[in-house]
Amino acid sequence: MKRKIERKDWLLFALIILFALLPAIPGIRENSLTMHVILMIFLMASMSQSWNIVGGYCGQVSFGHSVFFGIGAYGAAMAVVKYGMTPWPGALAGAFLAAGIAVLISWPVFRLSGHYFAIATFAIVEIFNRLFMVWYWVGGAIGLDYSITEQGIVNFVWYQSKVGYYYGALVLLGLVFGVVRWIERHRIGYYLRAVREGQETAEALGVDSTKAKLSAMAVSAFLAALCGAFFAQYNYRVDPPMVMSLDMSMKFVLVTILGGTGTLFGPLVGAAVLVPLQEYSRAFLGGLGGGVDLIIFGLLIILVVVKQPKGVVGIFSYLRRRMVERESVGKEND
Amino acid sequence: MIVFLQVMVNGILNGLVYALVATGLSLIWGVMDVINFAHGDYLMVAMYTSFWIGALLGVDPVLSWIVSGAFLFLIGALTYKLIIRYTVGRSAISALLATFGLSMFLKNVCLYLFSPNFRLLSKTVLGGKTIETGGVIFPVPQLVTALGALVVIVLVYYMVKKTRLGWAIQATAMDKEAAELMGIDTERIYLLVFGLGGSCVGIAGGLLPSYLAVHPEVGLLFGLLAFVIVAMGGFGSIPGALFAALLVGLVESFSGFFIAPVFKYVAVFALYLLVVMVRPKGLFGW
Amino acid sequence: MNKVSSRRFLAVFAVVVLLVGTLAGAGFAEEKVIKIGTLFPLTGPVATAGQRCRAAVETAVEVINNSYPNMNIPLAAQEGILGGHKIVLVHADHQGKPDIGKAEAERLFNQEKVYAIIGSYNSAVTKPASFVAEMQKKIFMCGCSSSAALTERGFKYFFRMAPTDKTESHEFVEFMKWMNETRGSDFKTVGIIYENTEFGKHAADEGKAAAKDAGFEVVADVPFSPGATSMNSEVQTLKAADPDVVFGACLGGDYTLWVRTMKELNWLPKAALNYCTGYQDPMITRQLGDDANYFSGGMGYAPQFAHLMPDVAPVEAIYKEKTTPSVPFDSDSIQEAVAMFILAQAIEKAGTLDYDTVAKTLHENVWDSPLSLGGKVEFAPDGQNIRARSFLTQLQDGEYTIIYPEEFMQAEPVVPMVPWDKR
Repeated sequence: MKRKIERKDWLLFALIILFALLPAIPGIRENSLTMHVILMIFLMASMSQSWNIVGGYCGQVSFGHSVFFGIGAYGAAMAVVKYGMTPWPGALAGAFLAAGIAVLISWPVFRLSGHYFAIATFAIVEIFNRLFMVWYWVGGAIGLDYSITEQGIVNFVWYQSKVGYYYGALVLLGLVFGVVRWIERHRIGYYLRAVREGQETAEALGVDSTKAKLSAMAVSAFLAALCGAFFAQYNYRVDPPMVMSLDMSMKFVLVTILGGTGTLFGPLVGAAVLVPLQEYSRAFLGGLGGGVDLIIFGLLIILVVVKQPKGVVGIFSYLRRRMVERESVGKEND
Repeated sequence: MIVFLQVMVNGILNGLVYALVATGLSLIWGVMDVINFAHGDYLMVAMYTSFWIGALLGVDPVLSWIVSGAFLFLIGALTYKLIIRYTVGRSAISALLATFGLSMFLKNVCLYLFSPNFRLLSKTVLGGKTIETGGVIFPVPQLVTALGALVVIVLVYYMVKKTRLGWAIQATAMDKEAAELMGIDTERIYLLVFGLGGSCVGIAGGLLPSYLAVHPEVGLLFGLLAFVIVAMGGFGSIPGALFAALLVGLVESFSGFFIAPVFKYVAVFALYLLVVMVRPKGLFGW
Repeated sequence: MNKVSSRRFLAVFAVVVLLVGTLAGAGFAEEKVIKIGTLFPLTGPVATAGQRCRAAVETAVEVINNSYPNMNIPLAAQEGILGGHKIVLVHADHQGKPDIGKAEAERLFNQEKVYAIIGSYNSAVTKPASFVAEMQKKIFMCGCSSSAALTERGFKYFFRMAPTDKTESHEFVEFMKWMNETRGSDFKTVGIIYENTEFGKHAADEGKAAAKDAGFEVVADVPFSPGATSMNSEVQTLKAADPDVVFGACLGGDYTLWVRTMKELNWLPKAALNYCTGYQDPMITRQLGDDANYFSGGMGYAPQFAHLMPDVAPVEAIYKEKTTPSVPFDSDSIQEAVAMFILAQAIEKAGTLDYDTVAKTLHENVWDSPLSLGGKVEFAPDGQNIRARSFLTQLQDGEYTIIYPEEFMQAEPVVPMVPWDKR
């Protein structure tokens, strides 16, 4: 099957190239907070995009993705801290392990529908979190701390400049978005959307819904684990509350929903709104104490949902509709 | 044997408190299909209400639960009016997201207003009293809270099953459009349900400060357990929630003592998974 | 489709531009000012402690910046340091999360251009945050994070004021041996109850090791998840094992719940020795009343130590104004004030802000520190304050009373603890 390159693809390419060029601007490269915020946008967008495969395209709202994220993070950290290797084999092993565990867990859990499924996924997070807290081989509650190693791509750590992490996150973003775009355009993508719209109907049409859901979960977990590995490398530390918690799971869901579920650019838009909001409100208000930044953050989330339940992408399409309407009204008046 | 009984008593007493917290959630969930993520924070607000009434006016939690129950009715109704109303009929996720924001908001407003300090009422009527029968110890504050919870749950159940209002609630839960055609003001029912849900957790939170310290994060674990209990019992089923809560309380208590305290919540969450594997709609779900 | 995409694109672009714009205005500098960052958990589960720590640093800065000729504290009489430089604090909140702590440490150094950071209470956050400082060769002053691992990393710009869990565990065991020898207490077994977090686990490991080395048997090892709704199983596990002595590492609300649950289940060990935790929170006696009595714990400071540390009182008066509800210093927060004082003294003595010189000065001198028990601060090459001391206290009639070491003893230790029904 030959597919023509759509406008979406061009946009994706253009964005990635634009992002790749950003650090060339000295004002950005030298500003570590800006770099931090942008690369956190990349990471968050990648995380929620990986969630989007299952949660958006396939319609299975999972609160369990921090488990996969955590396994990836632990993979990288175990390789570095326990075995003194580079994080790469660990991250890869973590990703495959996460995919395997995802299939293993999801196979029974996918039988559940709606809220029962959602609660089951978060029960799984709590179980994993608490087991990792007492599993001393992987550091238990104490966690795994990186010691100082040589900087560079081999060890995937940089201490002074963030340029390395920036491009690392960008590659991750490109990979995750690329995979999702591929899924979106291929048969599996249609299967997933069919399952979302109605499992019985989909099966009647000959879609093996279990297989579709499981493969979506595996890919999703694999990508989430890679994001986790990046997170560990970026923070020089892993412990269960950091990576394997409901808090972390909520981030996957929050960003996607805020941006718009089941859309290619939703996660990026969601991250581009949420991350700066979070980081800058903390930077400017967090020091006051008393959680003023979190009060405002909470209010804004409520506001977005109440005013525009389709996410920020929804706001754009709303604006567009308004513009189109106005144009046509204008024409009529002429 | 005494140890065994003691562990069981602790489990049941805790379970009943969980049941009351969960009943509020179950009501909202069952009728409106809304996941109220701020439920644990409702509990926290109720505990602060009761605490401040105790600290400033010297009223004991055995009485101030009335105020916190009423106050939380208001908070619940307000939540519906200002937030949830806009999400009805949209995907369940949007309500979840909004209440997540609300949870963050409530937690940090309390942190801002009351400081993060742990607060405990030091002199309460019930505080520290125990009844001992045959070697088994019943702590009075927990006992009263648990009995209060049981009474409220029975009342709520009676109201839903036996009163006209309850029938209206059930009708709305089953089919909103049909209920409207029958002349039920579903908007008001939703408002009431949210208020009632708030009240349940408000009463629980009102009683708790006689033995539990209040701080902005206190609702977290209660909220989590309430989710699991409601789902385990089957959405919207009050007897289901009660039964599941007792089960959770017992599993928590027994696994905590006979396996290890650190595994008690692992056991609770595993229990949920086990139950829904066998009954995908919960124990009393259909 | 066309329009939507380009609009989305524009929106993303706008956000990016906004990012750059917001930060353009961050680069002004003032003269005669030294910026110091504080990094504490101002929100989240341990926000109480974090906010007190921040108030303690503010108190120290108040004393350093202004002239208090009547205080017998270094730098109090003069205004500012280095010939009139005032210290300006930049506060940050890490919410108890290591990743946020790391990001905030970077922001403080790179954006706010702070000279040094004081923090971070949670050892789990102090680790990555001080890692950032070390990599930039900038100074990180740690007041009270108690994980011994922090000073085992060979960092050159990291300094810690408080004693570690290791020191405290050792002290507990010494006390037990001393009680056995002189008071015939017959302590044999130890139980440990701790929150299963980075802090609690560290403390428990050190406690277990110390107890075993001294020949005591550890009969109960009870970790629990913090923020517990009930501690019945935990206390029952302890009760069933019935150890002579319990080492406790329960913070805040968990501590009160633990004590109350023990009362309900009508059980007490002969002695309960607590790490730097809920026990030493000045609010405890107000909240638990008589129930708080006869518990013990290691403390670096309590208002009842006034005769040993006479110069703290005027500083504490300032601190009390900065805390709501008003509390005296506790052994954690006072260490953060010490961190600020020692850093200022070192800068003053070095006569420069050069990091290597200041770090060298810090390492090479013994510092006067009226806020520290023992009055001195001296750093080992690993950055640990080797003069850090703590005394074992016991709450007797709501007062922290020194019971060990013997030469400072204020009252005979009440061992075994008075049972609940006899109070």
